[in-house]
Formats: sequence, structure tokens, C-alpha cells
Amino acid sequence: MASTIAHAKSEWDTLHHNGPFPLKTLYITELEGEGNLPDKFARYTDAAHEIQRLIQETKDAHQGFRAYGSRWSMNHIASHHDRMHYNGFMNMHIPTFATDMNANSNYHTDNVFFFQCGNTIKRVSEVLSAHGKSLKTSGASNGQTIAGCISTGVHGSGLDVGSVQDYVVGLNIITGPNPQDIVYLEPASKPALNDTFAQKIAGRIIRDDEIFKAALVSLGSFGFIHGVVIEAEDRFLLNRYVQKIPKKLALELSTTMDFANSSFKIPQEVDANGKPNRPYHYKVFINPYSKETDYVVEVMYKKPYQTPYPDPFPIIKESIYRDLIYVFIKIAEKFPKSIPWLIKRLRKTILPLNDLERVVTGTLPEIFWDAPYQGAAFACSFGVDHKDSAKALQVLTDLTVNEGPIPGIFAMRFVKQSEATMAFTKFPITCMLEIDGVLWKPNRRIMSLNQYGKRMIEELKKHNIPFTIHWGKNADWDHPGLVEHMFNPASIKSWQKSRAALLSPEMQELFSNHFLSDIKLKNQVTSPVIEPNDPIT
Amino acid sequence: MSSKHLKFTRLVFLGIFILSLHSCYSVRFVSINGDEQPDPLSSRTDYYRDMQVIELDTVITAKATTQDINYLIKESSDCKSGRIHTIEFRNTLGGVLLSAITFGRKRKVKIKYVCQLETN
Repeated sequence: MASTIAHAKSEWDTLHHNGPFPLKTLYITELEGEGNLPDKFARYTDAAHEIQRLIQETKDAHQGFRAYGSRWSMNHIASHHDRMHYNGFMNMHIPTFATDMNANSNYHTDNVFFFQCGNTIKRVSEVLSAHGKSLKTSGASNGQTIAGCISTGVHGSGLDVGSVQDYVVGLNIITGPNPQDIVYLEPASKPALNDTFAQKIAGRIIRDDEIFKAALVSLGSFGFIHGVVIEAEDRFLLNRYVQKIPKKLALELSTTMDFANSSFKIPQEVDANGKPNRPYHYKVFINPYSKETDYVVEVMYKKPYQTPYPDPFPIIKESIYRDLIYVFIKIAEKFPKSIPWLIKRLRKTILPLNDLERVVTGTLPEIFWDAPYQGAAFACSFGVDHKDSAKALQVLTDLTVNEGPIPGIFAMRFVKQSEATMAFTKFPITCMLEIDGVLWKPNRRIMSLNQYGKRMIEELKKHNIPFTIHWGKNADWDHPGLVEHMFNPASIKSWQKSRAALLSPEMQELFSNHFLSDIKLKNQVTSPVIEPNDPIT
Repeated sequence: MSSKHLKFTRLVFLGIFILSLHSCYSVRFVSINGDEQPDPLSSRTDYYRDMQVIELDTVITAKATTQDINYLIKESSDCKSGRIHTIEFRNTLGGVLLSAITFGRKRKVKIKYVCQLETN
């Protein structure tokens, strides 16, 4: 039997110290040993029953419940003031075979993989690499759990790829304590696995496009995501270049995404006609306090996998030594006007300047490798249409310089549109405009992070720039009408309706938290949404 | 004691102090593969945040007939896989002197290590 230890706690914090947030009970579940329960399906369903037991226990205590993984989100999205569940030990991989595929599936059998919720991106990549496969994209590092990634919309900078949730093809969700509350969910239009496989892990199968798209970015509130089916692709290499290019050119590329007709050319990365190739990844780094005429950009080009290639780790492993930054931040809290000077002094540690003119080749998991813990941090990340990226950057850097300074630097990454209902990557190509830095203590000389988040929202609204906000980052989350401003009413309604289709009103309450209340998405929809003629078996 | 001698003594102590600073260092070996075994109850705020760290600060005594000393990493609740992910070795002046004085018989071991998370 999978076993759980309940620990009495008073608070919980994120990895980057964005809390603490109140907590009563922390559950930690460990799987039954493989020696005692060798059958993978038996171990997996045994764990599911243990989670259901915890849900029942929580329900009986009239409390709330929330699962979390690596706690990389930088706000209270993963927290619950009652009971939380740590998923990190629930890391099974169940192989799928041709006999498990749905008759109407268009997926290549070799590309479909089933992972339990607590597998990290790093572990998922290792399993895929062992099969000659790769994730299509990941975040900038690899420590998040797969369930955490999709629940908050983790993204990289794949112009034509999308976010992590965009290669998910099926979900196994525990929506309550009863047998039929273990659901296998996939889109009706793109089924992946057959009923025989699904029935081994679930008591109910739902094939529904609308519910599936809503559940992809669930904000942790569609139940306990126990398993994730993903579509991988053949392993590939990335050639990474870091260059300084004129600001005008960097912004022109950002707003047009027209690399083929650009003057930005890397000699090795051109087509047969000598025109620049379209990169897989494009990222712009911006020091808002610098008057330099150039920006540092990071571009990556996708290549077929082949060996040998130079070892990428000598460059990738060069971790940033941040202790000095913390000393400087202490100075900055007292003397905010010193921030631009400090950032200039630190530019070699916070910008990839050491990588200029150094080409790195590696697989996706090698390039986006471990990010060691570096202390208390903040990150604010706004999604805007890439066509608005230069304008939005101007607005937010002006705010940061004029009303700050704030101890951080900006970056822009670009992500293909997601099909998930509440994905913040909702524009055809979304520019994720983010400022990352070190947490500071507000005082009369430097505004608070929440005030800064509020001012960013106000400025983007004032300049009529449509935007979204990364669900896992810092923001003024209870800003009035925020979600209604970010998403159209139909999307919000569809998301809430789909949640109600999966969860009873009681379970909607159990899986709600303060974050959901703050963004006003907690409202229950009581009417059952799944119609009798919906394609549910 | 003359002021010349006092100056000399101070210089010697300063030299020893600087030497001891330089003789204290640590080196960390990290596997590029696998996840570290997590510790969701940990409240560490250093490099090992969220990791299940095992710290060892002991003196191992070698027998006269022993050439190699193997410290075994065994499966335990703190090291479920029995496999190493990260190991940090710390060298100190005290450790070097102890080994020198005992002709290598007593070896100071000051390490931190983290095991790999079990895969399933």
C-alpha cells in the first residue's frame, strides 16, 4: 500500500520564499515498494486510492486540499491554508504500446508516454532520451513537476512550439473520493489511448474537447492530476548562440518575427539561398537602466540529433554566483538610487555575456539543465501579442526606471499560441515580457512588489495593450476585474463550466484556494454540464 | 620580548591564519543525471534547499593493513536509492594536520551528500 504521513504545520513557502502562507497539514505520500507490488498498474492505482482516502479525510474535516510538486511557482497558486499534498515521490512512468492506442489516434505510438504527476521535467526527459525521444519544449530549467508545469502554463521560448501543456494529449484526474471520480480525460477530436488502457487507471472515461482544453491549465483546481499523457518527438539538437545586436533590430524581430528577411544573420544558420533560418528559440535580455545601443539576444536553431557533438556542460554548468547580488540588494533597499549602478556592475553575472560568440550544441534537456537554488527571488511576467512587444517593453521599462528602480532585469521570450482555455499564451505568438530579480524589502524609498505589480497592470491598461499574466509568477492577483480583462467571457465561462462538469460543488470547494478566490474564479457552477449524448463511455 | 620579536611572532600567526583560510575549501561533485532525493520538510536556505542532505563529520581510523577506506552508502530513509547524486567534500587544516600527525591512520571526513531520487 502507498503510505502517507500527515505532518502538522503552521506555514508553507515556495522555493523562492514568496510566502510564507498558512497551512495546517502537509501530506507526503510514498509509493508501495516495487518489490512488494511489481505490477505498474497495480502500484499506480494503489496510489490513486491513497489519494482518494486523503480527499475523503479532508472532506470529512470540511477542509480544503491542494497538491504541489517542486513549489517553483512564485505566488500562492500552489498553496492551501488547510491541507497540502507533496507529489514529488509519485514519479512512475508506465510504458504504452501499440495495443494501448485508440483506433482513431493519429499519434505515432512511439511518441506517446504516460507519466505520474510527480515526475520532474528532468526525469521525463531522461525517460524520453532512453527511447531516443525528447520533449518538444520545456521551461528555462528542468526542476518543475509535469503536473505543476501544465497547471500553471510553463513555457520556454519556442516561437513555433508552444508551452508544456500543448503536447499533453491525455489527463488522469482524481476529482473526488468515489470510484467514478478517477477520470481519464482526452479530447474527442484527438484521442490517444484506448478504453482498455484507460479502464486500467480510471473509473470513468471522458472524451470532450472543451473539458480537456479547460483542464490543461487548471490552476490546480480541477482535482488531483495524477497522470499525464504526452506526445514526444524524435530527439534533436539545439545550436545556441548569444549575441549583442542593435536594439532596433532586436525589437524589429520581436514585433515581426520575420527572421527570413532580417539583417540578423548567423553565417552557419542560413538556408540554401543564404536567407536566415527561423530559430527555434529567440530571447532578448534588457537592462532597463542601460543606455547601451545593443541588446543581448539568445537564439537557438533546431538540428537533427547526431553524435558526436561537443560536450555542452562546460558552458552550461557555469552557474551564476549570486551571493554578491544579495549583499548588493541589502544596499539597494537602503539606497534604491544605487540599483542602476549595481546592475551595471553585475551585468556579467545576470546577463549571459560570458557566452558571447560561444556556440553551444546540446539536446533540449542539456541546454535547459539544472538551475541551482539562488535565494529569494521575484518574477513578474506579462503575455502580450508579439506585435505589441516593443510598445509594452517601453511602457514597463519606463515605469521601472521612473517609479523604481526595481532590482531586476527584463527579458522577452516568444511562445506559440496555446489551445488551453486559460493559457496566458493566448496570442498567435505571445511575447512573455518578464522582469526577474531578487526579492527586496519595501520601505519609504522603494515600493513593494505588490505595488509594482499593480502599477504594471495599470500602465498596460492605460496604454491599451492587451495582456495576460503568467499564473505562476508575482502579480497584483486580486486586482479588480483582472481575469475578465485578460480573457474573454466565453473562455472564463467555458473554464468554469468544465470545472463543474468534472467536480461536484463540494469538490469544487475542496479544490479551491485563496488564489482562485483572489482571481474570482472560485464561483461554483452547480448545474451538471456533461450532457447524456456527450461522448463519454 | 623585544618589539622586533613581537612583530615576527605576529607575522607568523598572520601567516598561519592566512594558510588556514586557504587550506579550508570544499568541492562539490554533481551527477548530471537524476533528481536529488527531496526533503519536503526541510527549511534550508542554502544550495541544498529542498534536498535530503546527509552530513558526515567524523574521523575514520585506518588499520595498519588497510590501504583503501571505503565508506559505504547504504539504502536508508535519507537515501532511498542508495545511489549518490551530489557529494561535497570539505578539506580543513585540522583534517590535514590530523592525517599528517597520525601518518594517515586517522582521516578526517567532512562531507555532505545527497542521494538520487528513486525512479519508478
